[in-house]
Amino acid sequence: MRSHLLSLLVYATLVSAYFGILVRRKPVEQFRLASIIWAAMVGGAVILAFLMYPFPR
Amino acid sequence: MASDAARDDREALAGAEVRRAVIAVVAGWAVPGLGHVVLGRFRRGLIFAAIILICFSLGLLHDGRLSLRDREQPFLSTLQVVANAGVGIPDVLARWSVYDELAYALPRDAAYPEHEARSTILRHRARSSLSLYGTAYLWTAGLMNLLLLFDVWDLGLKRRD
Repeated sequence: MRSHLLSLLVYATLVSAYFGILVRRKPVEQFRLASIIWAAMVGGAVILAFLMYPFPR
Repeated sequence: MASDAARDDREALAGAEVRRAVIAVVAGWAVPGLGHVVLGRFRRGLIFAAIILICFSLGLLHDGRLSLRDREQPFLSTLQVVANAGVGIPDVLARWSVYDELAYALPRDAAYPEHEARSTILRHRARSSLSLYGTAYLWTAGLMNLLLLFDVWDLGLKRRD
């Protein structure tokens, strides 16, 4: 898996599914929490990437 | 008299619950998800096992670092080893496969041949462009399993449904 974006998406999916199932008990609530965590991780990473864009190494 | 018997029953029941919870926690550390299975939560256990083992496998496939305790950086390297070892038996098998032995630390003296051999393997894996992702996957798998043990403990003591 050489794509950074794919790695990010897979990682966010695994972690958000884990926390959704761990913290909530009802399937609907689990899905909702997992979706929020997933969106926060992916959205946060994309925003951070754009903020870093003007400052290449 | 009757209250003494009732108290003895309650204490025996609590003792059995604690024993069951301890067994489940040990099982859950050794094999991700097994703690829930021991407590009769098959579905939950299988889902967690799948998530953690997929994460761990991706870590190995991405050349993640199986950290070794290093005397140069004792605190950080120990935390890394704990994060790796959190996944239990899969980490033991992975270390055997990668280092050809159950290695958790670099030898004290750099003159030992094991020091050079383990350092070389560690450096070789770290050189891979994917190693950073692999390491994140490996540490996450271990830490997720460690966090899961609290859930197993609570379920074992019937503190949550």
